Amino acid sequence: MANEALAQSSNTWFNVALLAYIVAMVAYFFRLAFTRVSADGVIAGTAVGRRVGMLGTAVAVIGVGAHTASVVMRGLAAGRVPWANMYEYSSLLALVAVVVGLVVVQQRMGYGHLVGFVLATAVLSMTIGLLLYTPAGPVVPALNSYWIKIHTSAAMASSSIFMVAFVATALYLVKDAAERRVAERSNASFDGSTVGAAHVGGPATTEQRPEGYEADTELDTRVASPLAQREALSPVWFPVVPGLVVVVFVLAVWRAPVAAIIAGSVAALLGTAAWYAVPYLPPAAKLDNLAYRTIAFAFPIWTFAVMAGAIWAEEAWGRYWGWDPKETGSFFTWVLYASYLHARSTHGWRGRRAAWVAVVAFVALMITYYAVNLWIVGLHSYAKA
Amino acid sequence: MTETVTPASQQREDPPSGGRLPAIPGPIETARRLWRALRRMSTALLLLFALAAAAVVATVVPQAPVTAQSVEQWRTGEAGPGPTAASVIDALGLFDVFGSWWFGLLVVLLFVSLTGCLVPRYRAFLRVARRPPAPGRNLGRLSNTRTFATDVPPAEVLGAAQRVLGRRRFRVRCIDADGAQQVAAERGHLREGGSLVFHTAFYVLLAGAIIGKVYGFTGQVSLPEGGSFADTRIAYDAADAGRGWELDDHRGFVVTLDEFDVSYFDDLTPREFVSRVTISEQGAPVRTADIRVNHPLRHDGMVLYQLAFGMAPHVVVRAGDRVLYDDRVLLSPNDDQNLWSGTAKVKFDDPERQIALDLVLAPDARLDSEGQPTIGPDPRPNNPVLIGNVYFGALGLQRPIPASQFERGSGPVDTAMLRPGGNAALVEGNLSVEFVDLAYWSGLQVSHAPGRLLLLLGAGLILAGLLPSLYSYRRRVWVDVQPEGTGSRVTVAGVALQRKGVFTDEFDDIATAVDREVRS
Repeated sequence: MANEALAQSSNTWFNVALLAYIVAMVAYFFRLAFTRVSADGVIAGTAVGRRVGMLGTAVAVIGVGAHTASVVMRGLAAGRVPWANMYEYSSLLALVAVVVGLVVVQQRMGYGHLVGFVLATAVLSMTIGLLLYTPAGPVVPALNSYWIKIHTSAAMASSSIFMVAFVATALYLVKDAAERRVAERSNASFDGSTVGAAHVGGPATTEQRPEGYEADTELDTRVASPLAQREALSPVWFPVVPGLVVVVFVLAVWRAPVAAIIAGSVAALLGTAAWYAVPYLPPAAKLDNLAYRTIAFAFPIWTFAVMAGAIWAEEAWGRYWGWDPKETGSFFTWVLYASYLHARSTHGWRGRRAAWVAVVAFVALMITYYAVNLWIVGLHSYAKA
Repeated sequence: MTETVTPASQQREDPPSGGRLPAIPGPIETARRLWRALRRMSTALLLLFALAAAAVVATVVPQAPVTAQSVEQWRTGEAGPGPTAASVIDALGLFDVFGSWWFGLLVVLLFVSLTGCLVPRYRAFLRVARRPPAPGRNLGRLSNTRTFATDVPPAEVLGAAQRVLGRRRFRVRCIDADGAQQVAAERGHLREGGSLVFHTAFYVLLAGAIIGKVYGFTGQVSLPEGGSFADTRIAYDAADAGRGWELDDHRGFVVTLDEFDVSYFDDLTPREFVSRVTISEQGAPVRTADIRVNHPLRHDGMVLYQLAFGMAPHVVVRAGDRVLYDDRVLLSPNDDQNLWSGTAKVKFDDPERQIALDLVLAPDARLDSEGQPTIGPDPRPNNPVLIGNVYFGALGLQRPIPASQFERGSGPVDTAMLRPGGNAALVEGNLSVEFVDLAYWSGLQVSHAPGRLLLLLGAGLILAGLLPSLYSYRRRVWVDVQPEGTGSRVTVAGVALQRKGVFTDEFDDIATAVDREVRS
């Protein structure tokens, strides 16, 4: 049957894309390793690092191509838009996140070395998607509406951009902690906030080109010792926290101890990579700005997704808002991201506190997506459709 | 002795005895402080966190208006953290977060805080947005500045600058002071304006929601094929009417379910189910239409939605020649298995001698590989078998609770297994149960929902206000022209109050454009 063949093809391309992302992610992290930092804070790339970086980018782009093919074939196999269950949704989340990472984070902003972390979230999302795999098939009557193209796609697009924003937020918190500790130890004056808006000096233009590093002499002198930053942070928390979180999550949802340990180890490795990457990250102020701009971009889309969901609910279920768990979930996610935007304009909340609000908001988003679908009884339990 | 003048505020603070304890502020002062605290951004933040926390609780704890079954399971300890935890949750009112008083109070506080913040900001916005752009001084010291000389006379330079800035939709003002000529331009008030629109939209949403709640109506009714109901208050199995909804707001039209159609995909997932109905007014049919999920039927201001459906076997129970029961029983689905179940209240006039019939229908009853009867997975009733369990005694059928919750006591007195058209004699021949035929019942919802246009407007305003509030930014540009010989010395300078990084690029564009316009 043509559908069956297409579905198989789609799965194959999915696996190719997943493999490509893993390889690219490793390459990006290797590029971090092939970097020299001198004592007075000059970061310079090496030839090997540059080549590994280019390889990583190339493989990531191939992965995007394979992934797009997978998504398109899935849509053709099922005879509808390819975002109607958790497997397809997770797959698309990853694809959009990688595209945003490559195009916006690497190309436009020049923070190529952050893309490894974005790829990590994409790999995680796809792996979870595999655990939730359902064969390609048509949708139940409740989902049989043109609104799926509007509401679900908007929710998916904004969620994946929030994923990228989470990477920036987490790295901001890490880098900010490092910069503060170094500043404290060197008794340098510090104005207490590394939020980019008007307070921290630094070049207005991006100082790092996408490929390789030039000798970076424009670093703010207060944070002039990148290696000292890494030393300033305790390397214990970095593997432990992500590892534990992932182990608990996998155990709670799938009750699979082996999978939990594997996933937890991967998360722990990522955490360690984040610790290692601290000196090479852009200044905290820039990371904060990246987080802010990505959240500011995704927030209107998420708002629109919630509204479109309400209009669809009115047509399908006869009421636009019934405080169903998915609706409450999307509501508190919206409120928390709105709180983040508020916090950034409130004295005393800028910088770290606002970033923690963004972290909580992302956790809320994950609850809305995973926990509500898989755990909680409600109208949106399309998990194992 | 020198005279000391005590300022009036301090006089209020110091207690008359002159002791060292700080005075407790009086009620007016307290009210003022509370009001000021309520209007602060940080308070708004905390209120938003509280709102989010309430919604989190409402997500993980089942809510009574949404999933009453889950709430019951939590209360009995079948599911959830156990009966003791459930009783604590109950005591705190957490099984109905959104209907609780503290949630209402939270919303009220948020709106009060919002109002307290919006009013001064509207005033400030109207004041600032109307002010013409201010002249610029010390332009050389600004972070964005460019100077160039040209042999074009000052007047023309000013004209060029006005054109460039005008094309970029800046508000432009020509200033001629102290011999210096300058074009002052400003843009980006939409940031604050958008934010104000965004926040005002919440009032519109609130109004729409309130109107819908007060003047709206929602009713659910289950109709067997061939059955009908009239849009009146008593027709609905469950109804929720707002306080402003009157009895004669019901339209009174009659809906007859001519046919109910279900179709499945090959893998037995439902493909489509549709109710084919005829609507009659004053005895005469007015229209026939289909009602499907995602395709509701709108008639005379009411909207009919397709909700659920089920099996409705026609059952006749006789005692000898007397017919005790002759009706379709509406069966409900079983979550785990391909079964439908329900209860027929056969006889309940005498509280001690009541008869109830517990029914279970298997649409796909088949024999397995060992010849044993088993339940097949096919939801289509191609092979239906109806199992009836007769109960007798003081069953409590007269109580106003769901029929299936009667007192089952020591168990059924007899049981029958019937195919369509089949008849069984039970209870030593005293009772006969006949399974006449099988049909569907359709669950419809009838609603009247006013205020939706307001909600749509509010939603539109939210989005319309959100984008400028995030992307627009206030910036000012000055073009200062000093005569230099026959030409002029032009200084272009600019400053942005937000998004300075983005402004740097915009400023470069503006300065280059002015340069080009001057030279052309």
